Amino acid sequence: MEDVSLYLEPARTLAVVGESGAGKSTLIGATLGLVPCTTGQVTWAGASPRYIRPALVMQEPRSAFNPHLLLRRSVMEPCVAKRLQCDPSRLQRLCDGLEISTDLLDRRPSEVSIGQAQRVGILRALIAAPPLVLFDEPLSALDAVTQKHTARLIAELQAEEGFAAMIVTHDLGYAAAYADDIAVLRAGRIEEIGAAKAFVAEPKTAYGHRLRDAAFALGALERAA
Amino acid sequence: MASVLALFLRASVVLVCTALATFSLLWHAPGDPALAVAIARYQAVVPDAVLDQIRTEAGFNTGFWTAFASWLRPLLQGDFGQSAVTGRDVWPELVTAIGYTVPLAVLGLLIGLFFSIPLALLATKKPGGWLDRLAVALASIGAAIPAYWLGLLLILLFAVQLGWLPAMGARTSAHVILPALTLGLGVAASLTRILRSGLLEARGQSFLPAFRRRGISRRALERDHVAPHAAIPVITVFGLELAFLLEGAVMVEVIFARPGLGTFLVSAIEARDFPKVQAVVILTAVLFVTVNLLIDLLYRAIDPRIGERDA
Amino acid sequence: MTIVARGLSVHRSGRSILYPTDIIIEPGERVGLVGASGSGKSTLGHALVDTLRARGQSVALVPQSPDDALDPLRSMQFHWREAERALGLDPDVVRRDALFEALRIEAGDMRKRPWAWSRGMQQRFVIALALLGAPDLLVMDEPTSALDPVVAAGTMNLLDAYLKERQTALLLITHDLGLAAARVSRLIVMDACHVVENAPTETVLATPQTSAAKALCAHRNWLELPC
Repeated sequence: MEDVSLYLEPARTLAVVGESGAGKSTLIGATLGLVPCTTGQVTWAGASPRYIRPALVMQEPRSAFNPHLLLRRSVMEPCVAKRLQCDPSRLQRLCDGLEISTDLLDRRPSEVSIGQAQRVGILRALIAAPPLVLFDEPLSALDAVTQKHTARLIAELQAEEGFAAMIVTHDLGYAAAYADDIAVLRAGRIEEIGAAKAFVAEPKTAYGHRLRDAAFALGALERAA
Repeated sequence: MASVLALFLRASVVLVCTALATFSLLWHAPGDPALAVAIARYQAVVPDAVLDQIRTEAGFNTGFWTAFASWLRPLLQGDFGQSAVTGRDVWPELVTAIGYTVPLAVLGLLIGLFFSIPLALLATKKPGGWLDRLAVALASIGAAIPAYWLGLLLILLFAVQLGWLPAMGARTSAHVILPALTLGLGVAASLTRILRSGLLEARGQSFLPAFRRRGISRRALERDHVAPHAAIPVITVFGLELAFLLEGAVMVEVIFARPGLGTFLVSAIEARDFPKVQAVVILTAVLFVTVNLLIDLLYRAIDPRIGERDA
Repeated sequence: MTIVARGLSVHRSGRSILYPTDIIIEPGERVGLVGASGSGKSTLGHALVDTLRARGQSVALVPQSPDDALDPLRSMQFHWREAERALGLDPDVVRRDALFEALRIEAGDMRKRPWAWSRGMQQRFVIALALLGAPDLLVMDEPTSALDPVVAAGTMNLLDAYLKERQTALLLITHDLGLAAARVSRLIVMDACHVVENAPTETVLATPQTSAAKALCAHRNWLELPC
């Protein structure tokens, strides 16, 4: 990856789109502080991400959990790691927001539907109130109806909690509907970056056009009438 | 190519480490090695002057590293040295012993394959069926029975009760049958389990339904797409199976009072005969390393991704 | 040849996972089979393929991911030759090149194994394999969800162009009504192992009758969500 600069503000959403191998996973690793940067740095309010501990929501919801543990144990892990006392009313509020009934948490990952598992994954990411949440293809394992439902729940919680979100996704339709800004990543570089609406209306680069037109062709984006 | 070279380099490191480890174990074992040699040599308690002489001959009084070096140096020129007990060259005796053990091990392996392949194929015809459960039960029992017990049972049945086969020694070629059967049944037990799970996994691969729907016949599917995948775990375990085979051969030779590497090794350890023990260790280590090297190369031929992942 | 399959049903461990269903597809027709995950659409697709195959009709299936269609230990050439043999065809480089040309399968070394090719090219190779016998029906199970959008769109466009002049009918299985709407003239909607709607695409989109179809239509587009 080379010369990538991104800015995120609280309560705003940045979508990172691009094809496989464009460096999306590396970007997530660097933002989490897992992949060291050769030059440049990642900071949040001046501090390294290692102190902030951003949360991550992964692509495959079921394999993101230890299959032997009850979901409740997995969900509490961020609190344990940060040595925080978990507030039961916060858990209840988040569960309500994600439409998870609390007895779902007393099951194991294999005993819930894939859509439910992903919502529990989001719950785990939010439980310790991180200022920044990374979403790595959060909806791609879900079906079209569940995708949109989950996306709306994420957006509503974000409005309440005020975390900043970085969403890495294939789905330009999702990015266009929910992100404030879109960054197009290609071969380890930022191809273009700008407001989501402007990108859908008129991408600035040829590659941006190709991405958008592919989304049109697949029916992921509706052409403006 | 570079990774193949790395494999060879790793192999030589393993050899040196093995030689050093066994030498050190023998050296630091409790008891006076000179006394053990003396008892083996004279079958009697000897005066201190003789013990001192043995210490000087065998280099027991020179310190560990000097003794190790004086054993290693001739070895690099292909000389396995002389027995501390008899003073005769180790190499010809070793060759004689191998001449007895190799037919036993090969026959054991063949018996193992002869029983395990049809059993695994039958068992996986209907997973969870009564045949499958029977095969799994047999394999578990076979793996749990120790060789010395099975050997004694076979002796009781075929040599004592029925009188069909000779039990002890190695005078005729019929003498190899019972030891080989003892060894082979153990091999069959572990091979059956591995073959069974390998076949089941290979048949459960996600791409097979698509091949079936493409109109490819069952036979071609089994031959071209199931067998190669099932072979990978079997090849992996083959290296371990070799350890089992050698270990089993040592045990079986002692039970059946059969000359060979096992009896060679056991008597050498009792007498603290360093050159003889070290010779067996080096030989088995070379065998191991070679087989595992071949397995690694075979892997790369079946699935080149394995080589790429290492590099 | 018109595809007719009546009374398709599937039971597994004493439970119905597909209730009796009739499927009729005209030559060259494009049909979408849509529904939420677990609604039984893949079951129906597979049952249709197996039933028609058993009857000796020519039908091909393209699974969701090339991983489900290619053996990682065998070369591409092996796959191709094997498929030719299964169809009783003689090796014919011209026919192969024509298919590769139509689907723009570029510069692939046929001696290589699947994983040495890009995923997009693997998927096109699988589609070419499926088209090899000029089948009456091509069933595609979520053909784009494992691919990058640019690659997926390109593949679907090429396939559209290839099928345009031919009698091969297409059954597109997907959870995404948006994807299906752009490609097919008729929609079959599934819910809870039943076919609940079967009508021209415009009719389903304009006046969905059942709750399953309504949910799919409402969630068809990200920008028009019923929030």
